[in-house]
Order: sequence, then C-alpha cells, then structure tokens
Amino acid sequence: MIQHTSEQRPLVQMRQVQKFFGDFQALKDIDLDIQAGEVVVVIGPSGSGKSTLCRTINRLETIDSGEILIDGEKLPEEGARLAKLRSDVGMVFQSFNLFAHKTILENVTLGPMKVRRLPAAKAKEEAMALLERVGVAHQAQKYPAQLSGGQQQRVAIARALAMKPKVMLFDEPTSALDPEMINEVLDVMVTLAKEGMTMVVVTHEMGFARKAANRVVFMADGQIVEVAEPEEFFTNPQSARAKDFLSKILTH
Amino acid sequence: MDIFDLSGLFLSGAWGTLRLFLLALVGSLALGTLLAAMRVSPTPVLRGAAATYVTVVRNTPLTLVMFFCAFGLPILDIQFASDRGLNSFFYASLALSAYTACFVAETLRSGIAAIPVGQAEAARAIGLSFRQTLSLIVLPQAFRTVIPPLGSVVIAMLKNTSIASAFNNRELISAMRSGIEIRGDMVITILIATALIYLVLALGLGRIFDLLERKLVILR
Amino acid sequence: MKKITFLTAALAAGALTLSACGQEGTPDAGGGEGAAAGDAPVYEVAEDADFSESDTWEAAQSNGTLTIGVRFDQPGLGNRPAGADVPEGFDIEIAKLVAAHLGFAPEEIEWVETVSANREPFLQNGTVDLVVATYTINDERKQVVDFAGPYYVAGQDLLVAEDSDIAGPEDLAGTSVCSVDGSTPAQRIAEEYPEADLVTYDVYSKCVTDLQSGSVDAVTTDDAILRGYAAQSDGALKVVGNPFSDEPYGVGLPKDDQVLRDAVNDALDEARDNGYWTEAFEYTLGDSSGVEQPEVDRY
Ligand SMILES: Nc1ncnc2c1ncn2[C@@H]1O[C@H](COP(=O)(O)OP(=O)(O)OP(=O)(O)O)[C@@H](O)[C@H]1O
Ligand SMILES: [Mg+2]
Repeated sequence: MIQHTSEQRPLVQMRQVQKFFGDFQALKDIDLDIQAGEVVVVIGPSGSGKSTLCRTINRLETIDSGEILIDGEKLPEEGARLAKLRSDVGMVFQSFNLFAHKTILENVTLGPMKVRRLPAAKAKEEAMALLERVGVAHQAQKYPAQLSGGQQQRVAIARALAMKPKVMLFDEPTSALDPEMINEVLDVMVTLAKEGMTMVVVTHEMGFARKAANRVVFMADGQIVEVAEPEEFFTNPQSARAKDFLSKILTH
Repeated sequence: MDIFDLSGLFLSGAWGTLRLFLLALVGSLALGTLLAAMRVSPTPVLRGAAATYVTVVRNTPLTLVMFFCAFGLPILDIQFASDRGLNSFFYASLALSAYTACFVAETLRSGIAAIPVGQAEAARAIGLSFRQTLSLIVLPQAFRTVIPPLGSVVIAMLKNTSIASAFNNRELISAMRSGIEIRGDMVITILIATALIYLVLALGLGRIFDLLERKLVILR
Repeated sequence: MKKITFLTAALAAGALTLSACGQEGTPDAGGGEGAAAGDAPVYEVAEDADFSESDTWEAAQSNGTLTIGVRFDQPGLGNRPAGADVPEGFDIEIAKLVAAHLGFAPEEIEWVETVSANREPFLQNGTVDLVVATYTINDERKQVVDFAGPYYVAGQDLLVAEDSDIAGPEDLAGTSVCSVDGSTPAQRIAEEYPEADLVTYDVYSKCVTDLQSGSVDAVTTDDAILRGYAAQSDGALKVVGNPFSDEPYGVGLPKDDQVLRDAVNDALDEARDNGYWTEAFEYTLGDSSGVEQPEVDRY
C-alpha cells in the first residue's frame, strides 16, 4: 500500500453540500474529507453526480448550500481569489480540452506564465520536463489535433501539473479513449499517485482503483452511499445499490 | 483636364477611401470585440448595455449614424481636431466604427458560441481570470472560426465608406463626382473605373481573408 | 417590454440626429416659390410646329410627349417640392417655353430627374429628349452632346449671412466655404482659393444648414442657385453679387440633331423678343433688372 505523509488537516473538505439544477437535486448532503496524499476514486452509475461533485471542488459548478474548503480555505465566490485557488486545484477532463489554437508546449506554459507569472524560459524548461515525464516531449511543437487521444490526455495531465497543484481532479480521464490508449494514461496516474499527489478520480477502471486508491466513494442519486477501501468495496459491497451496480459493470 | 489628371484624382480618392477604411477597421474591430466580450460577461449590466447598443445601432441606417456624428457631435462640442477636414474624417471614421462594430460583435458572438465550452472550462481550471480566458483562449479561437463571415463584414464596411463623401470627406465617390463634372463625355468610363477600383480593393481584402483563414485554421 | 425600451432608445437617437440636421430651418420645401411674383407665365404653344426632319422631335411627336431632363433639387431653378407632382423653377420655365415652340403643351412634357452623372448618358441613350438642368456648356461635354443656348450665364458666387463682411472670393482666406462634393464650384475653390477651408456635402441644403448655424462662413455655387436659397431665408442670408466665373447654361440635346438645335435656339431668340424669358425669370428668380439674356451661340 501507498505510504503518504498525512497531515492533521484534510486538504479538501466538503460539508453538507447541496447542488440543484433547477428543481433537480444533483448533490445531496455531501460530506467528504480528503487527506493530503490520499487518492479517492469516485464510482457510481451514470447521472449519479460524480462529475458534478468533482466540478464543485474547483467551483466550475457553484453550490447552493454547504461549504467546501481547500487546504482549510473556503472557496471564494468569484474574482481573483477564486482564480488563485483554482490554480491550486488541477483538473483533467474526459474530453481533454487542450487549447486547440496553441501548441502542446504553449498549452503547458500558458498557466505558469499568465497565472504564476513565471518567465518564459523557466516556464518552458519546466514544461519540457513535464512533457518528458508523460512521454510526449517530442510532440511539443504540434497542435492538439495532431496527437492521439492518449497523448492529448497525457498533455492535459502535464498542463494541470505545471501549476504545481495541491490536489488533482480527474473526471473520467480514460472513458473517451480507445482501449489501447487507456493504460498509457493510467500508468501516468498511478505514478502520480505513488509520488504522493492528492487525487480525486472519477473512473470505472477498477484496476486503477485497486492499484492506486486509498478509498472508493460510491455515489448514487446525488448522494454518497458507501465509502470503503478498494478491495473491501469490490469484493464485499455493503449497500444494495453498490451490489447492483458492481454486478452490472463486472459482467463485461 | 486629361486622363492623367483624372487618374491623379482617382488615386487621391482611393487614398481617401483607404484611410477611412483603415481607421474604421481598427475602430470597429476594437469596439466590436469589446461589445462581444460584454455580451458574454457574467455581469448583467454589461450584457444589457452591449445588447442594447447593438440592437439600436445595428437597426439604424448608417447615413443617420453619420448625421449624428457629423452634425450632432459638433453641437455637443465634441471635436477631435482643430482642422475641419480632419475633424470630418474622424467623425466619419467614428460613425463607420460605431456602426460596423455591431456586425463585428454579432459575428464574433456566433464564433464564441461555436467554441466548445470545455475550452473556457479548462482555462478557468488552470486559474485564468475571466478576462484572460476571454482574451487568451475564447476570442482568439472565435476570431479564427469567424474569419470568412468577418471578411464579409469588413468588405461591406469598405463599400460603406462611400457614404462619407456626403459628410465632407474626399474619397472615391468624390473623385467620381469630380470626374463626371469635368469630363461629361466620359461618364460611363468614370463610373466603371470607380466600380473597378472598389472591386480591386474588395478582392484584395477577400484575398487577405482567404490567406488568414488558411493560415489560422484551427484543427479540432 | 424589452422591445419597447429598444424602440424608445432608437427613437430618441433618431430624434437627436434629425434635430441635429434639420435645425434652424433648412429651406422650407413648400417655399420653393419664395421669389415668385404673380401668376405663372403662359407660353403660346405653336400649333403648326413641324420639325419632322429631327428624329428626336418625330419620335416625341408620335408619342405625344416630350421628355425633358431637369434638376429636382435646386430651389429657384429646377426643384420638385416634397409632395408636388411637377418641378418648378427657371429651368422648368425655359423648358416649357422651348417645348411650346416645339408644339408641346406643358401637360405633354414628361419631367425626368437628371443629376450630374446621368445628363450625358440620358441624352446619348434617348432616355430624355432635352436637358435643361443647370447644364454648363463646355468642350468636353460637346464631344458627346450638343447644346442650344446659352439661355443664362450664371457665375459662381457666395451666399453669406446678412451681416457678413465677405465681399468676394478674395476674402475667403481663413474662412470655411461649403459646396457640393465634386462640383465645379468646389473644385474651383480647392484649386484657386486653397486658403479657404473647403467643406463639402452631397447636397446644398446641408451647406445652407451649416451656414445658418454658423458652422461655415459661406456657401458657394452658381449665383442662380444661391438666389433660390437667399429668397427662402427671410433676409437672413444674402448673395454677395460678385460672380467670379462664367457658367453658360445651355439646353442639352442629342448629338448631331441640327434641326432640333436650331429650333431650340430659335425658341430662345423668340423668348427674348416676346418677353417670355423675362417673365420666366421674374416668376422664378425675382427682379430681373441688371440681368440680361445672353446671345445664343450657334456654333
Ligand atoms: N448543467 C446541468 N444542467 C442541468 N442538469 C445537469 C447539468 N449537469 C448535470 N446535470 C444533471 O445532474 C445529474 C448528475 O450529473 P453528472 O454529470 O454529475 O453525473 P455523472 O455521475 O458524472 O454521470 P456520467 O457517469 O454519465 O458522467 C444528471 O442527472 C445530469 O443530468
Ligand atoms: Mg460524468
């Protein structure tokens, strides 16, 4: 198992979070603490609110009540302080969302230069090191559309890491990928986890969960139904909803 | 007055048209971009102001906008230069900019709508402010996607400079009028020559926009 | 609700704009006869007119209408007031007396608006039979059309405020002078009086508006046109009366129709003898003392 230096205070704290889309409640009574260095996998049926949960953590979605704290600091409403806080929370999207009009290198240097005010040379140096690490350094001058999905997603991870975030959010990072590319992305994520990065990962990849996660959070209908260690969750789920869900994803 | 003088007349007329066009191009792109940005801003007041401006000015005939600038602004004592001719040039450029900006803004807005939301979300997620997201990610992509319709807007503006001759500006239409006045025997030739000059200028612009489109195309 | 707000704003903007351009009395459209005195002159129509050797006349005769190109926008000369069916002015009277000589009553005339750009083309392609439209005779135009007349020699003059010190073009240095974009008077100011600040619009009415509001110091064009505006200003504006060019106005004709040209010249000569010309002048431009009908030039 992974050894991580746990601090006293949780890095991410969600307390009684409620989120509505109109009349529809997408998140109900969410209470979740994530310790520094911890890797949490969020799992659940489609529409259960996994993405929404992920997106509230960096306020891409606002919440209707409750509170969310990052490293002890309450998420600001808007403006410069929110931007600053967001830069501490890296996010990787299902559809990569690389900046289509910028080269791979520019995608990675943009944040450090514009948000962290790093000089261009320094930003480039760090970016190349990150691209090297995720194995796409030789593609640095290309545009996103010229790369495969797996390569794009690895660049997206590098782009998020370039901000030196305290925590990384992954929203189904491999579900848009062809099967042969899934592992190249998961490998990068496993390595990250082993290095002690705090991660929230929405995924159905049980292999990853078993290998890298400290906890699995199972969601259904906007609520957290069950929280358990991966092995425990997959072999011996407690709730009927989880049993039902697992029986469905395990059959194929 | 011979053909040589006539071509001199048209040359200075073409320059008059071109300088009106160039200033109004800068003005309309700047104001149009600002309006488009206001229309997608999170502040309702800005959105409302931009929408109202676009609705009012876009539905006003350009001649009326020119009237307002050329005859209304002096009454309000708004002057740009002590020289009257230069002042008229600025009034006409302002009118053209103010009017064309609406079309630039609407075109850009359609471009912004065509950008996948994920682009702006990714920008916000790395900590870019609203302004940075707009200026670094959304607008550059929006501009690139709307280059062809923007070309049409800009070419329409080139032709709209012809209205300025009615408001103390010397440009191609003035040259044409002078030409007709002094060479009544060559009216048709002069009309065709004027049309040809506009055609050449517009085709040149079209070519520039084609090149831009090819050079700046975004692969997705 | 939203729509109404927009509409109100648009109307407000429009009103502002309109009040900006229409301020302080642009010449009143209905007042085109400011200088007119007495009843409209009547010209006796020649019953036995026969110019069948002229193709133009022949065609007009068989149609029953003579088509004449005139200005619709110059008070006192050729002007069609808003709402009126037919134009009025000195050019119109000249056209009527020429038509009478050719055997056409006023009701048999079809008036077509001509501007600088279409006078020659309209004569060349037969859209009009004659042009009486402040049409200055010059050599370039003679290349493509013929002229009868002149019936009036206009001169470029200045329209100024009643209390202005400007007494002639020499006084223009440092003042602003308004004329119509591309017109001969505008070109003359630009070339011969470059010290003057030339302002040009598409129509004289804008110049007159600027003169009345004090934005320009003078309006310049042919004196006959200026007279029309002065007459409408209730004494606020005056024509300086120091013309500095000769603009012989002729009747434009299709090229090489000698019979028609002779006929029109005869009509003008006759108008001198029987007083029609003077009647026409006084009816439209006012007092004719000191003004003389020029000799026609049968070139
Ligand atoms: N912008 C929105 N407006 C309205 N409803 C929304 C919006 N975003 C999400 N929802 C609804 O909220 C619920 C939760 O959505 P969410 O995307 O978080 O689910 P998910 O668990 O990520 O599902 P999936 O596995 O399909 O990605 C769904 O019913 C969805 O339809
Ligand atoms: Mg989802």
